[in-house]
Amino acid sequence: MGSQGEGRELEAEGSGPLVWCAILGITCLLLVFMQKLLWLVVPALLALILYYLLFPLMNRLIFRGLSREGAAGSVMLGFLLFMSLAGLWVTPWVTQRFGNIKALVSRYMDGGLALLDRSLRALEGAWAPLANAHLADTVAQRLHSMDGHLTEYIEPVAMGIMAWAPSLLLAPFLAFFFLRDGQRFKHFIAEAVPNAIFERSLFLLNEVDRTLRAYFIGLMKLTVLDTVTLAAGLALISVPGALALGFICAVLAWIPYVGTVLGGLLVVLVATDYPGDPMMAYWAIALFGIARMLDDFVYMPITVGKSLQMHPLITVLMIFVGGAVAGITGLMLVLPLLGVVMVVGKTVGSVVTDPRLMARHRHARELCRVAASADLG
Amino acid sequence: MRNPFRREPVSPHLDRIRSLSLFTDLSPGELRLIEHLMHERAYLPREVIFDEGEEGHAIYIILEGEVSITRTRNAVVSEVARLGVGDFFGELALLDGAPRSADARAVDKARLAVFFRDDFLELLDTHGRIASKIARQLARHIGGRMREMALAANAHQHL
Repeated sequence: MGSQGEGRELEAEGSGPLVWCAILGITCLLLVFMQKLLWLVVPALLALILYYLLFPLMNRLIFRGLSREGAAGSVMLGFLLFMSLAGLWVTPWVTQRFGNIKALVSRYMDGGLALLDRSLRALEGAWAPLANAHLADTVAQRLHSMDGHLTEYIEPVAMGIMAWAPSLLLAPFLAFFFLRDGQRFKHFIAEAVPNAIFERSLFLLNEVDRTLRAYFIGLMKLTVLDTVTLAAGLALISVPGALALGFICAVLAWIPYVGTVLGGLLVVLVATDYPGDPMMAYWAIALFGIARMLDDFVYMPITVGKSLQMHPLITVLMIFVGGAVAGITGLMLVLPLLGVVMVVGKTVGSVVTDPRLMARHRHARELCRVAASADLG
Repeated sequence: MRNPFRREPVSPHLDRIRSLSLFTDLSPGELRLIEHLMHERAYLPREVIFDEGEEGHAIYIILEGEVSITRTRNAVVSEVARLGVGDFFGELALLDGAPRSADARAVDKARLAVFFRDDFLELLDTHGRIASKIARQLARHIGGRMREMALAANAHQHL
C-alpha cells in the first residue's frame, strides 16, 4: 500500500510550452483543412448555431412527453416554417430595393467617390500641405482608373456567392441530426474512453460543448445587440432601410476587422445616396464609430468575451495568423476553433502526463486480460 | 410504423433510473431529460473507480455489484463503507468539485451510472425544478450520513 501512496503523489505535468505549440499548430492545420471544405464547414457551423439555439426548445418538448425524434422534428419544422414566412415577408422589399443590383452598386460607388472627393477637398482647404500635393486630384485620378475594374471584381464575387448558396440548405438538415443524435454521439464517444480517464475526458467533452455554446450563443446575442443599436442610430439620422442595414453590418462583424470595415463602408455608401442632407454620411460614420466602441467595450465583454477565456494577446495574434493561413475563413473560424483545440489539448496533455491515471489504465487492462483468460488454463 | 410524435411510455430503463433514491421524486418527463445525461460504465473486480485527492467531476450510482470506499492513513487502508445497488457515492463532487475524500474500488463486477456536475449545474439554470428535487435528495442523504457519524461519535464517547 505504501507504494500506492507514493504513486499517487506523482503530479501531472499539465500543459507546458510543447502542448501550447501543438495547440497552435493543430489550429492552423485545421484552418487549412477547413478552407478546402468550406462548402461543408459553413453549413455545419450554421447548423451548430441552430442546434444551440433550438436545443432548449427541444428539451421543453421532451419534458412535455415527446420522444427525442419527435421533439427534434417538431422544432425543425417550426423553424423552417418561421423562415419561410419571414422570407415571404422580406422578398417583396428585397426585389423592390435590390432589383437592379448592378445599377445600385454603381450608384452607391459614385456616391462614395463623391463623398471622398468632397472630404479630401475640405481637408485641402484646411491644410495647405495637402493642397500643395493636390491630394484630391491624385486620389480621384487613381480611383477613376480603377472604377471599371471594381464592378468587374464585384460581379464574379456576387455570382460565386449565388452559386455557393444552395449548400446552405444543408444547415437545417444537419441541425436536425445534431438535435436528434447529439446526445447519442456524446455517449458513443464516452463509451470508447477507458474507465481510468473517463471522468476527465467527459469533463473535457462538456468543456468543449460549453465553450462552443457560450461562443455561438454569445455571437447571436452580440448580433442582436449590434443590429438594434445600429438600426436605432440609423433610424435616428433617417437613413433608409435602417433595420436591414443594421442586421447586415452585425452579420458582417462576425468576420473580425474585415467585416467591420465592410459594414462601415456599406453604411457610409448608403448614407451618401440620400440626397436631402450632405452631412448624412458624416453622421453615419460617427454613428458607426460609436457603435463599434459600444461593441468592443460593452457588448463584446458581456457576450462572447468571456466564453473563450483567452489571453487578449493570443486572441489578436491568432486572428492575424488565421487570416494569413486561411483568408476570410481563417478570420471567422480561428477563435472558436482555437477555443476548442485549447480545451482538448490542455486536457489531453494533463491526462497523458498524469502517471497515476496511466498506471490505473494499465492496471485495468491487466485485470481485463486476466478476466478474459481465466478459464483458458 | 412508429409514430415519433406520440407521447413516449415509461421504458424499463427509465423505471430503473426512477428506482434510484437520487431521482425518486422526478416525474416521467423529468426522468426523460435525466436519462440522456446519465452514462453507464462497467468495472471489473478490484478496478479503481477514483482515487482520494483526485478532482471530482461526477457522482456515481450503483446499478449492479458492490463498491468499497476506503481511506489510506499512515499506509494503513481502512474501509469506510461498502455500498450496494441503489447507493451513490462521490456526491460532494456534484456540489463543489472538491477533491475526492476517499478511494472507490469495485468489489466485484459492477455497473455504475455516472451523472456529471456540469450537467447538474446546467439543470440548475435550465430546469431548476428538476435540479432542486435532486438537490433535496442529496441533502437528505448527506444529512443522514452526518447523523450516522454523530451517533457513531457518541457511541465511541460512551465506550
